[in-house]
Amino acid sequence: MTTVLDLQDVHLRLNGNAGAVDILRGISLAVTAGESLALIGPSGSGKSSLLMVMAGLERATSGRVSALGQDLTRLDEDALARFRRGNMGVVFQSFHLIPTLTALENVAVPLEIAGEADAFARARTELGRVGLGARAGHYPSQLSGGEQQRVALARASVSRPKLLLADEPTGNLDAANGAAIMDLLFDLRDAHGATLVMVTHAPDLAARCDRVLKLADGLLA
Amino acid sequence: MMWALAWRLARRELRGGLAGFRVLILCLALGVGAIAAVGLLRAAIQGGLADQGGVLLGGDAQMHFTYRFASDDEKAWMGEHALRVSEIVDFRSLAVAGEDPALTQVKAVDDAWPLIGAVGLQAGTLAQAFAPQGGMPGGVMEKILAERLGLKVGDTFKLGNQTFRLGAVLLREPDSATAGFSLGPRTLVRTADLAQSGLIAPGTLYETDYRLILPAGADLDALQKAAETAFRDKGMTWSDKRNAARGVEKFVDRLGSFLILIGLAGLAVGGVGVASAVRAFMAARVATIATLKVLGAQGALVLRVYLIQIAVICAIGVGLGLVLGAGGLIAGAPLLVKLMPFPVAIGLYPAPLVQAAFYGMVSGLLFALWPLAQAVRQRVTSLYRGTAERVWPKPAHLVWMGALLALFVGGAVWFSGNASLALGTLGGVFAALAVLAAAGLGVKHLARAAARLGFVTGRPALRWALAAMGGPRSEVQAVILSLGLGLSVLAVVGQIDANFRAAIARDLPAKAPSFFFMDIQDAQLAPFDALMTGNPAVTQVQTAPMLRGILTQINGRKARDVVGDHWVVTGDRGITFSDTPPEGTTVTDGAWWPKDYKGPAQISFAATEAAEMHLNLGDQVIVNILGRDIAATITSFRKVDFSGAGMGFIMAINPAAVAGAPHSSIATVYAAPEAEADILRQASDTFPNITAIAMKEAIGRAVEALSAIATATVLAAGAVLVTGLVVLVGGAAAGVPARMREAAVLRVLGATRGRVLASFALRSALMGAAAGAVAMGAGALGGWATLRLVMDLPYRFEMWSALSVVLGGMLATLAAGVVFAWAPLSARPAAVLRQAE
Repeated sequence: MTTVLDLQDVHLRLNGNAGAVDILRGISLAVTAGESLALIGPSGSGKSSLLMVMAGLERATSGRVSALGQDLTRLDEDALARFRRGNMGVVFQSFHLIPTLTALENVAVPLEIAGEADAFARARTELGRVGLGARAGHYPSQLSGGEQQRVALARASVSRPKLLLADEPTGNLDAANGAAIMDLLFDLRDAHGATLVMVTHAPDLAARCDRVLKLADGLLA
Repeated sequence: MMWALAWRLARRELRGGLAGFRVLILCLALGVGAIAAVGLLRAAIQGGLADQGGVLLGGDAQMHFTYRFASDDEKAWMGEHALRVSEIVDFRSLAVAGEDPALTQVKAVDDAWPLIGAVGLQAGTLAQAFAPQGGMPGGVMEKILAERLGLKVGDTFKLGNQTFRLGAVLLREPDSATAGFSLGPRTLVRTADLAQSGLIAPGTLYETDYRLILPAGADLDALQKAAETAFRDKGMTWSDKRNAARGVEKFVDRLGSFLILIGLAGLAVGGVGVASAVRAFMAARVATIATLKVLGAQGALVLRVYLIQIAVICAIGVGLGLVLGAGGLIAGAPLLVKLMPFPVAIGLYPAPLVQAAFYGMVSGLLFALWPLAQAVRQRVTSLYRGTAERVWPKPAHLVWMGALLALFVGGAVWFSGNASLALGTLGGVFAALAVLAAAGLGVKHLARAAARLGFVTGRPALRWALAAMGGPRSEVQAVILSLGLGLSVLAVVGQIDANFRAAIARDLPAKAPSFFFMDIQDAQLAPFDALMTGNPAVTQVQTAPMLRGILTQINGRKARDVVGDHWVVTGDRGITFSDTPPEGTTVTDGAWWPKDYKGPAQISFAATEAAEMHLNLGDQVIVNILGRDIAATITSFRKVDFSGAGMGFIMAINPAAVAGAPHSSIATVYAAPEAEADILRQASDTFPNITAIAMKEAIGRAVEALSAIATATVLAAGAVLVTGLVVLVGGAAAGVPARMREAAVLRVLGATRGRVLASFALRSALMGAAAGAVAMGAGALGGWATLRLVMDLPYRFEMWSALSVVLGGMLATLAAGVVFAWAPLSARPAAVLRQAE
C-alpha cells in the first residue's frame, strides 16, 4: 500500500505568554492511501496540533513531515498553500467559512484558486451532494451550525483531494447533526477514495475509522 | 441611587484603560480642535478690530463721498462737530517711470494725515518724504510698485502731468484695513501736489474721505444720525470707530461661521467613527452585559453604566481637541500676526472654547447613543451566543436622541447667529450623509451583482474583493460615509476653482477687452479714438460717457426698502447717457427716447437686474448723481451682458437730464496680447491723466482674492478628510481580526499570500474609488449648482480635478488597507484558526 502521510520524530514547540510549551514530543506514524485514521486523546494532548502539522498549517520544530511524497518541512508558506490545492481538504470544528461569501461561493473558492473554469458548476453539484442545493445563495450567518459544517465538508471535498483532514468536525454540533455530518464525511471519503485523518473526542465516531491512535501529552500512546 | 451604582460600576470598568477608544478620542479631538481653532481665530480678529477701531479708521469717524469733495455746508458741519479733520482723496491712476506705466491706487492726503497712528516707511518721516527737492514734490510707494517700475528712492515718476520724486518706500499704512479691494499697489502723495496733475478734474473717478477727531465722550449715535439726516441723500456715507473695518468684520464673521459649519461636518464624519467605536466597545462587553442582566441589572442601569463611560471618554476627546485647537493657534500666533493685514488679539477666549466643547460632547453622545441603546436591548441568550439581534432602541431612547439632535442644531443656530446659514449647512451635511449612505448601499448592491458577472471568472482576487464589498460585514458604506463628505467638499471646491481658472484661461481672453481706459475728458475723446484705431493691433474700440450715481428711490420709497440688499442699490453704479441706443444694444421692452429729447428724464434699465428687482416700465426712480437728485421714469429695458468683462451699464439716461454734469468717458480697447504693452505706453505718454486697467491683470487679482477663500475652504475640508481618514484607519484596524481569519482560511484552501494581498488591496482600492466616484458626482452637482444657479456662470465638468479626487480616495483606502493587511498575511494560519476555535 502507498504511504500518503509519513511523519518521522515530529516535535512541535509553541511559544505562548507563559513561555515555550512542547506540544508534540516525537511523533512518528504513517498513513496509507485510502485508510481512515482517528486521532483521539484528552484535551491538550496535541491531536489538533498534529493534524495542523499534517496539513502544513503548523511548521514542525523538528522531524520530517511528508505528504503524498512531498517533504512539507522544505516548503515555504506559499509553496505549502499551492501544495494543499487539490491535494488536501481540511474541515474544522468551527467551520471557518468566509462570512462575506455565500455557501456556493465558499465551496467554489478552492476551485477558483486552482484556476478551474467550471468552479461554480462543480461547487453547485457538491453543495447538492451535501443536501444544501437550495441554500446556495445564503451567507454563513443565515445557516445553522449543521448546515455550515456541511458547506465546509463540500468545500473540503470539491477539489477531490487525496487527503481529507478533519479536526473534531462534530464538536460544535448536537448528536443528530453530528451523526449526519459523519455519514456525509465517510460517504464523501468512500465516493472519492480519499485518505481520512480525523481528530475526535467521540469513541463511537473513532470506531468507524480503520485505525485509532491515541495521543497523550504529545506522544502516541 | 441608580446613577450612583452606575457610576461605581462604570469606574471599575474604566480601570481597564482607554484601549479601543483611540479612534473615538481622535475623531472628537480633531473635530473639536478644528472648531476651537477657527472660533478662537475669529474671536482674535474681532477682538483686534474692536481694540483698534480708531486706528483702523484713522479717526473717530469718517464721512465718505464719491467723485466729489465735501461741499461747504458739509465742511462747515464737520468743523462744528470735530476737533480736527483730515481730507483724503483716493483714486486709481497710472504711475509712469520713464516709459513704464503701472496701475496704482493713489492716496492723496493733507498735512493732518494720519490723525491716529503712524505711517511705516523704510527710512525717514512722511514730512521728509513729501518735502520738495529741486522743485519736485515727494511721493511714497509700496515696495512692490517701486520694484515693478525699477525705482529707487530719489528717482522720479509721474502721476498724470505731475512729476514726483520717490521720497520713501511705504511699509505700512495705519488705516489700510478699511480700504476695500484694490487693483493696484499704493502710492501716497500730498493732495496739494496734485494740483497740476490733471487727475482730479470734475467728472473723474475719485473718492474722498474726511476723518474726524471728535471731542471726548461724543455721542457717535447722535452724530451719525445728524450727519445722515443732513447729507446721506447727497451721497455721504458715515462710518466710525465702532465699525471701522465693517467689511473685514463682516467677511471674517461670515467666513468664520462657514468654516465652523464645515468643522461640524467633520464632527458628523467623526460621529461615524464614534458610533463604530462604541459598537465595537459594546460588542466586546456582551458577556459583561449578559452577566449583569443575569444578576438582575435592568436595561436602564446597564445603559447608565456605559453611558457614563462613554461620556468620560468623550470628555477626554473634547479636552484633547480644545488643547489641540487652542495650542495650535497660540503656537502659530507669531506667524498669524505677521500674515494678517489687520490687528489680531490672539488669546484664550472662553466663548469659542465653550462652543467647540458643546459641539463635541453633544455630537459624541448623539452618535454613541444609538449603538448603546441597541446593545442594552439585546436578550441575555443572544448576548451569550454572541449573535446580535437587530433591535430598535426603546422609544424613550429615541426621544433622547431627538433631543440631542435638536440641541445640536439649536446650538449651531445660536452660536453661528445666522439661522439660514446654519440650517442650510447642517441640512446640507445631513442630506449629504443620507445621500452618501444611500450611495454606499447602491455601491454594495452593485459590487454584489458584479461579483457574479462573467468578467470576474478566473479572477478570484477580484471576485473575493467584490464579494466582500457586497456581502455581510461590508465596509463599503463606512468607507463612503467617512471619506465621502470630505472628498465631496474638496470635489465641489475643485470643480468651481477649476471652472474659474479654465474660464479665465480659455474664455476671457477671447471675450474680455485688453484695457479699460478711464477719466477720458471730452476734448480727449477724438484724439484717443484716433490713436487707438490707428494702431493695427487694435481690433475694437468702444467709448461711452460715464457718470456715477446712486439709485436712492423707487416709486417714492427708499430703494433699499423696496429691493433689500440687491447689489444695484448697495453703492454707486455707472450711468451712461446717449441720444441713441449704443451700438450692439438690444432693447427688450419699451422704447429708447427720441433724438434730442428734452422732456422729463427717462432711464433705460438692464433687463435682468430690473426683473430681479421687480421693476416695471413706467416706474419712477430717483438717482443721485454728484449730490444732485434726478427723478426719472423707466421707459425701456436693455439686454446687458456682464460676463465678458466688457462695457456694461445698469442705467442709461437721456443726455438732457444730465446736461452740464461733470463727466468723463471710459473706453474698452480690444487688441492682440503681444501689442498690449506698447498700447499702454503710447496711451500713458499721450494722455497722462487717463488711467488704464489691464483686464487680465485685474482679473488675476480678483481670482487671487477668491483663491484665498477657496484655500480656507480646502483647509477646512482637509480637517473633515483627516477625520474621515482616522475613521477609516479605525475601521481598518477593527477589521484586522476578521481579515486574519479570512486570510488564514484562504491559505488553508491553497491561496498564496500574494493572492490574498491582491484581494485585500483590490477591495480597499475599489472602496476608495467608490467613495471618490460618489464625491465626484457630488462635486459635479455642487459645482454645477454653484456656478449655474448661484453665480449664473457656465459650468463644464473638469475631468482632471474630478479624477484627482477619485485617485485620492483610492490611495487613502489602499494605504490603510495594505498597512492593515500586514498582520493577517504574516500570521500563521494554524495559530489564527486555533484562536478562533
